[in-house]
Amino acid sequence: MKVTICIGSSCHIKGSRLVVEALQELISQNELDDKVELCGAFCMNKCQSGICVTVDDELFSVTPDKVNDFFQNNILSKL
Amino acid sequence: MNDLCADIGYKSINHYGEQLCGDHVDVVEKDESSTVIVLADGLGSGVKASILSTLTSKIISTMMAAGLPLEECVSTIAATLPVCSVRGVAYSTFTIIHLKNNETAEIIQYDNPHVILIRDGKNYDYPMTELVIDNKKIFRSVIALKENDIFIGMSDGCPHAGIGLAYNFGWKRKDIIDFMETISDVGYTAKTLSTILIDECNRLYGNMPGDDATACVVRIRKRIPMNLLFGPPANKDDCDRMMSLFFSKEGKHIVCGGTTSGIAAKYLNKPLKPSLRFERSDIPPIAEIEGVDLVTEGVITVNKVLTYAKDYLEQNEYYEDWSLKRDGAALISRLLFEEATDINFFVGRAINPAHQNPELPINFSIKMNLVKELSECLKKMGKSIKVSYF
Repeated sequence: MKVTICIGSSCHIKGSRLVVEALQELISQNELDDKVELCGAFCMNKCQSGICVTVDDELFSVTPDKVNDFFQNNILSKL
Repeated sequence: MNDLCADIGYKSINHYGEQLCGDHVDVVEKDESSTVIVLADGLGSGVKASILSTLTSKIISTMMAAGLPLEECVSTIAATLPVCSVRGVAYSTFTIIHLKNNETAEIIQYDNPHVILIRDGKNYDYPMTELVIDNKKIFRSVIALKENDIFIGMSDGCPHAGIGLAYNFGWKRKDIIDFMETISDVGYTAKTLSTILIDECNRLYGNMPGDDATACVVRIRKRIPMNLLFGPPANKDDCDRMMSLFFSKEGKHIVCGGTTSGIAAKYLNKPLKPSLRFERSDIPPIAEIEGVDLVTEGVITVNKVLTYAKDYLEQNEYYEDWSLKRDGAALISRLLFEEATDINFFVGRAINPAHQNPELPINFSIKMNLVKELSECLKKMGKSIKVSYF
């Protein structure tokens, strides 16, 4: 599974660093390093709905406080 | 003209407890072929010294740049400077470095510590001729410039550093030479070299300088072009034109901005690979595109570069941040401040609708202002700047 987080200007200001760090943490806690590939993207052209995160090719909007729910519902459950 | 240019930087510290510096440096660029640098040290310290040295450096630099003979400059100063009521003399020492066509340097010295020239990493003792003008003993030298020559002009506050504290007789010129030789081939800018020298003086003074101390460094270096792309063009149809102009330029290429780097990657037909390494919390990570020397995020990163640039021209306090770290802003700063001499900005005027949100600190006018302010700072660093808008 490939999870891509936008780190462009808009998403950065909205806190994409926190999302990246939270996901890195969750992935290593659940020992999923070999199943989930985390990548960055500069801009997904959906700045208004940021923070943009894609799981494979599906686009999500994630806020730093909802990372846990997002991880449970859209990453863990789909593996 | 050859392919050399001069990187000029200086820094002063004030006599302990004084608000004004009694040393003054003035740089006058008459045109591309002639630059006059004057370091003057006024008698005493504080307001009086500051007035004397400011007058001296302004008068000399203006008159020399206008091509007037040295004798006239000296007699004008003698006739103009106010006479000190305590000591009964009008007095300010000076050092003049006059660069001509980036080929020769004429050095004229009156009572300041002699200019140090470091050539190929070693001290170079250049010949001096003694002149007497208005009973003043003045030394004059003409030196043919070579790449990597470093001229270090000082006020006497530098060799006096540490008298009675670290050293009995101060920081000897010979020891200053040893100190500067070891850092001469690192590639530091003139501003950084002068900062390192003055910081060391301040340390020797125990952070309470007993005199104003100033270092002025002139570094002769090869011209190095650099190109920076920032923002997508206002009209989408101009993408290819903008990219082909940008990538056809000689020198390194820096691409700033998310959408912008996407356009560059598409033009080069290479993948854009952003990293997730946050070198520091306030700057987004950098990315990679084969064929581009540096790819970074846009406004936030460039805004940080501007902060560094403004500080560089003043106190140079963030020096350690940008000269050592690996984040996008530090990398751009090193390329622009240290490496480049001629910088071409390719600025796109597209408006990112997501940035027009009043809650975000990055709207369009801020972006355009960034470019304007940054290019002004870089000009003050002595670089030649060209900005093209798309």
